[in-house]
Amino acid sequence: MARPLIVGAVAYTPNVVPIWDGIRDYFADTDAEVDFVLFSNYGRQVEALVAGHVDIAWNTNLAWVRTVLQTGGECRALAMRDTDRTFASVLVTRAGTGFTGPLDLKGRRLALGSKDSTQATILPLHYLAKEGLSENDLTVLRLDRDLGKHGDTGRSELDAIRAVLDGDADAAAIGSTTWDAIGRGELMPGALEAFWRSPEFYHCNFTALSSLPRERTAPWVERLLAMDWDVPEHRRILELEGLRRWLPGDTAGYASLFEAVEEQGIRPTW
Amino acid sequence: MILDLIEAVSAVGEGSTVRVRLTDPGDADLARKWCHHSGNTLLELTDQHVVVRRGRVPDALDELPADRRPGARLWLYTNFDCNLACDYCCVRSSPRAPRRELGLDRIRQLCREAPAAGVGEILITGGEPFLLPDIAEIVDACAAAAPTTVLTNGMLLRGRRLELLHRMPRDRVRLQISLDSADPVAHDAHRGAGSWQRAVDGITAARAAGFVVRVAATVGAAETGQAAALAAYLDGIGVARDDQLIRPLARRGLSGDGVTVTVETLVPELTVTADGIYWHPVGADDDDQLVSREQLPLTEAVALVNERFRRHRLAEHGAAERFPCA
Repeated sequence: MARPLIVGAVAYTPNVVPIWDGIRDYFADTDAEVDFVLFSNYGRQVEALVAGHVDIAWNTNLAWVRTVLQTGGECRALAMRDTDRTFASVLVTRAGTGFTGPLDLKGRRLALGSKDSTQATILPLHYLAKEGLSENDLTVLRLDRDLGKHGDTGRSELDAIRAVLDGDADAAAIGSTTWDAIGRGELMPGALEAFWRSPEFYHCNFTALSSLPRERTAPWVERLLAMDWDVPEHRRILELEGLRRWLPGDTAGYASLFEAVEEQGIRPTW
Repeated sequence: MILDLIEAVSAVGEGSTVRVRLTDPGDADLARKWCHHSGNTLLELTDQHVVVRRGRVPDALDELPADRRPGARLWLYTNFDCNLACDYCCVRSSPRAPRRELGLDRIRQLCREAPAAGVGEILITGGEPFLLPDIAEIVDACAAAAPTTVLTNGMLLRGRRLELLHRMPRDRVRLQISLDSADPVAHDAHRGAGSWQRAVDGITAARAAGFVVRVAATVGAAETGQAAALAAYLDGIGVARDDQLIRPLARRGLSGDGVTVTVETLVPELTVTADGIYWHPVGADDDDQLVSREQLPLTEAVALVNERFRRHRLAEHGAAERFPCA
């Protein structure tokens, strides 16, 4: 039997351990066994993938872009969550501020999340520029937390919201998942409201180098996609990882991030 | 406050709990709504703080095998009075205990409702059920609803009462007779002089009448070493191992020794007495195990027990998380 595929993941929450224990158990005794290695940040994980120390990396969108840039495109997105295809950034402000769109931010203070967070910094700046609003038109409050984890912990987004509620910023850029987590303004009516939502973009994917043979990845992907929400043991893993079903890898939704990385001069390594 | 909750919950793993201080008057309501919205579990809520478990708590009932879920076993305490005065009786039965009779009419009603309540097995206990003149009718009604076990000391199985036994359906009824030891002296010390021999005679009579007889021993800490001798004795008289049961002595009723059993530590077994619905047969004479004064409808009693069981398990989980062993 072939040695298990080694999957890398970043330990951004204690839940990562039960998630990956569950996934390893799910693949046990199949022709696509896996084991996993946890990293403290995406920089080290991408480095390990490129060096061949892991076979597959569970990458954020920024880690995917950096893998593409570091390998000259010699990599593949194997699979992703259904929820990875519907990410967006949201601008929120205190209810009653009267903001109706990004241009209302001219001359105002915008709280951003960590500088390596796609949803809370990189793409909001990219899309605001497309709307005709450059960083020079704003006072930007950057709230770097948990750098290296690409905003996965969400803590910088919570700090950005606090900055708005505390009066230190007029608006905050956060991910749509954080907006959902705080109840989209429904739990705290009169406290916060969203006044702009970005186009959708992709978030994570399982990344492998092109050199990993397809006969090794194909059975693994096939088994992954067979996880079933209606099977209780599968559902526990799916719920923890935040999806209802796995989808085949697709890269169309990363285009905006490639543009943003180039525009903003974000380095291909870290 | 929601931000504090999200941050605290995100920092711990699935199943762990966090405690967050509440400061504003509306925070408690907000915390409740957020837990519902986010799929996390509210364990405790006061004006000052909230305790939240990350993720949902699995349904405590799902963790029980189907035959142990509340209602699967239905215990009926038919009378409470007894011809014996065992010094450890968990429900204080004795010849001096007043008869508190469940009554044939109510038993029939319970049996009619039993299938809808998920009852798969009925257990009849007394005091001593064979003191009741209508025990055969009671057993008939129960056996028609579900396989039935009659708990007895076996001492009365002769004469008229043996005739009553003969009228019972053997395919749906078995007897459970108490025998604490292979040593008559040890048995009689708790249950009265001569009771060992009469129990053994009862076992013999019931088996001769064609009934499956289960033999149950109540064993305190001092007698645990006698279990092997009892098993050897029962093997010798042909009682199958599956029909040999050793029960620990419970610190309940007349017994000052034994295992401490509480509502929090017992998986419930729906128990009906003349006084109401109780959590478990071992506490059927104690107010702390009283679930409801209303015996009927049975489905409501099961729902009540289910709800309390879930609540206990939730609280138990929260306490375990917050006060881990050193």
